[in-house]
Amino acid sequence: MVLLLTEPSSVVFFAASRLPIPMEGAFFMHATEPLIEISRLYHTYEGSGTEPIDALRGVSLTIHPGEFVAVVGTNGSGKTTLARHLNALLLPTRGEVRVAGLDTRQEAAWPAVRSQVAMVFQQPEDQIIATTVEDDVAFGPENLGLPADEIEGRVRWALETVRMWELRNRPPHLLSVGQQQRAAIAGALALRPRCLVLDEATAMLDPAGGREVLALLQRLHADGVTIVLITHHMAEAVLAERVIVLSEGGVAFDGAPRRFFACPNHVTRLGLELPPVADLAARMVRRWPDFPAGLFDLDDVVDALAFRNVQIEPLSFTDPPFASNGRPSVAARDLRYTYLSGTPLAVRALDGVSVEVHAGESVALLGATGSGKSTLLQHLAGLLEPQDGHVLIAGKDAHARQTDRRFLREQVGILFQRPEEQLFETYVGDDVAFGPRQLGLDREAVRERVRRAMEAVGLPFLDYKDRFTQSLSGGERRKAALAGVLALHPKTLLLDEPTAGLDPQSRRDLLATLRHLNREEGLTLVVATHNMDDVTALARRVVVLEEGRVALRGSTRQVFSQAERLRALGLDVPAAVAVMAALRERGLPVPAGALTLDEVEAAIVAGTAPLPVSETERGDL
Amino acid sequence: MSTFEFLRYATLGQYVPVGSLVHRMDPRFKILAFALVVAAVTFSGTYLANVILLLTVFLLVALSRVSLGQALQGVRPALPVLAFLAVFQVLLPPQTFGGEACNLIWQWGFVELTDCTLRFIVVSTARLIELIVLTTLLTSTTTMAELAYGVEGLLAPFQRMGVPAHEAALTVTIALRFVPTLALQMERIVKAQIARGADFGTAGRFRFVKTTRRLLPLLVPLFLAGLRRSENLALAMEARGYTGGKGRTRRVKLRARPADYLALAAAAAFCIAMLNVDFATLGRALAAWLGQF
Repeated sequence: MVLLLTEPSSVVFFAASRLPIPMEGAFFMHATEPLIEISRLYHTYEGSGTEPIDALRGVSLTIHPGEFVAVVGTNGSGKTTLARHLNALLLPTRGEVRVAGLDTRQEAAWPAVRSQVAMVFQQPEDQIIATTVEDDVAFGPENLGLPADEIEGRVRWALETVRMWELRNRPPHLLSVGQQQRAAIAGALALRPRCLVLDEATAMLDPAGGREVLALLQRLHADGVTIVLITHHMAEAVLAERVIVLSEGGVAFDGAPRRFFACPNHVTRLGLELPPVADLAARMVRRWPDFPAGLFDLDDVVDALAFRNVQIEPLSFTDPPFASNGRPSVAARDLRYTYLSGTPLAVRALDGVSVEVHAGESVALLGATGSGKSTLLQHLAGLLEPQDGHVLIAGKDAHARQTDRRFLREQVGILFQRPEEQLFETYVGDDVAFGPRQLGLDREAVRERVRRAMEAVGLPFLDYKDRFTQSLSGGERRKAALAGVLALHPKTLLLDEPTAGLDPQSRRDLLATLRHLNREEGLTLVVATHNMDDVTALARRVVVLEEGRVALRGSTRQVFSQAERLRALGLDVPAAVAVMAALRERGLPVPAGALTLDEVEAAIVAGTAPLPVSETERGDL
Repeated sequence: MSTFEFLRYATLGQYVPVGSLVHRMDPRFKILAFALVVAAVTFSGTYLANVILLLTVFLLVALSRVSLGQALQGVRPALPVLAFLAVFQVLLPPQTFGGEACNLIWQWGFVELTDCTLRFIVVSTARLIELIVLTTLLTSTTTMAELAYGVEGLLAPFQRMGVPAHEAALTVTIALRFVPTLALQMERIVKAQIARGADFGTAGRFRFVKTTRRLLPLLVPLFLAGLRRSENLALAMEARGYTGGKGRTRRVKLRARPADYLALAAAAAFCIAMLNVDFATLGRALAAWLGQF
């Protein structure tokens, strides 16, 4: 292993490491031999009884030491398969993968390969092996057969690097998801790898947790560690120096993010989306074909707008007042709840929360991991009995003796995190039918409900009802789970992290479905989420929790105008709001209430007299 | 429905970090000493021996600075069972326990209580309490990781004979690691299915098929999730260079100190004494001596 990390303590380990590979400092990086060389790599999954799937079809690329590479692509484009080839977790069906010159097909090379290219996975809790953080981080070095005092030193260094040293004796299930993921990164770092591969490692984290992991990656990168970041978030991809886009098992683009995002049509065609600044620039190009194309930095966009002498109309954005019909659909009055009360592990989840949600409303529930969002949702669904306070569902006390369970089920539906895990029937149609059958409806009524629920979520009934549940893609399985809840005809739907882990396309689909259900069908929505862009897409009103109390509440516009406060609460503002704040800081009078790029575009366009459209040579790339 | 807290029932051992003498013992020695004291409990069938054992056990509780409430927390759930066994024992026809002469001390209809039965009830209750408190003591003074280290260390000498010491320890660690995780997962699935109208009650006695069918919405997802998790875990282990026990080292080097040997010697001496002293005779002698006053 190599002296890449600049802490003085690392010198000690350098002497004892088993695989000294000479390498110069960061200035000579590309002069040295490539770290990973992939040539004409094919990978085929042989299913049992199913068609073999070609996940990778002739991928060739080279990664040099010290690079920061983002890998993007839709679900099923081969990202994860590619990642697993980087450290010999998968072996080529055809072609070749070399890590530091070692062929991954040589079993003897695996320990060397895996100690140089370490991997962090999407699900934090599935990659923690031991019963305490400290023991888990030691697992890798122990496998390398290092002496005890060096293991101890590496564990300490890795945990200090991810800022988890104080929590070293914690059992993993008592950590937050963000902490678990940092522990997993420490476990990978303890191998002292030259390269860290992260497979959607931020997908399950709250904004603060995600920011922390990204900051950590940038620190590691500055210290010379090669980073390969697989992500669905384009805002993360732009942090990289190079983006590799996969599509149907092949490399569709390989180059600087600036160049990739300069071609909006190309990006959309690959099922991806533009990062917000590039999106804004692309909108300007659509308005004014002579607007410079491919702008990527906020400063450049501001300059270009200034150059055109763009006037921004101080439009004011407000939402039409919500017409409430009086009685709340679901309401919580002064709820208190403590998990594991009476044990040394007691955790207060809710500490006097009152919330009212009216029929037809859509409310977002925000808060850092552990702020009590899920607990509150489960109370509103009548699943948890309040230890103190009341839950009213359609005006009735959810836990009064005379309240009928079935009545509650028909009022409120709930979709848990990763709801695809609740599917259990072999066929999609049967699974959606589970709820209605439990209601004791007759065959025809069940069929009708299943049909309508499946159509509502965008799974055509005849196409999908006889498909194997397990053969659906991740996004489709989530839709099937949503259909299973909608088939109960709830008046209110509670959702916990509905879009976590979906690719941009599936996410947009699901959001459009939910929006339609709310705006057109009158379904009341309460959405707990970490994704601020989901909030602007769905909710008119926001309730922010902090440590079991309501910290902020108000209309989505009001809440998102308090960026500082939200960041202090471990949250963030939607990407578009951040862009607009930055525009304002640079002296452009963007209206304060604007929430989406559509609104910014409207403000910019309204203030500018249309120029004659000149057909310049520069078309859409 | 407030019983929706599966984690509450999934706490295998609640380590109490107070750092006493007992906490600091080498886990290998602690496990051996524990086994010796348990052996002494198992073979002690007299009043006097159990008085001594109870005193010893509570002395150990004091030494380990675990609160009495924590030490006794495992006893309360066992009380109904103990009561049931006692009643059952009284209702059975009087037994002789190894051919001793027994004296009737109480009779009501056909229900007879002899001194042998009474001793049996009192002694088995005492032994069970001793065992529960000892086990609680072991798990509240030893982390799961230490237990695994201890088991591995104890089995290590037999590795040459083909005993998979490392694999056994790792299996135990992973199992313990995933108990709370799977408990939380099951909780989530149960809630999700109940929200969809599932009913996990029994369908009636003898209607096993129907009862099992009702559990499918719970069992299938749990099983699938378990499979998925174990695949992910295997991958994560492989990614971190795991290839089996060969060539592996451990972060924690277990090092026995004189105090550990001393504690083990004390436990051994205690066990041998408890097994060899004729408590029946000693008890009679003690009674006779007390009778002089």
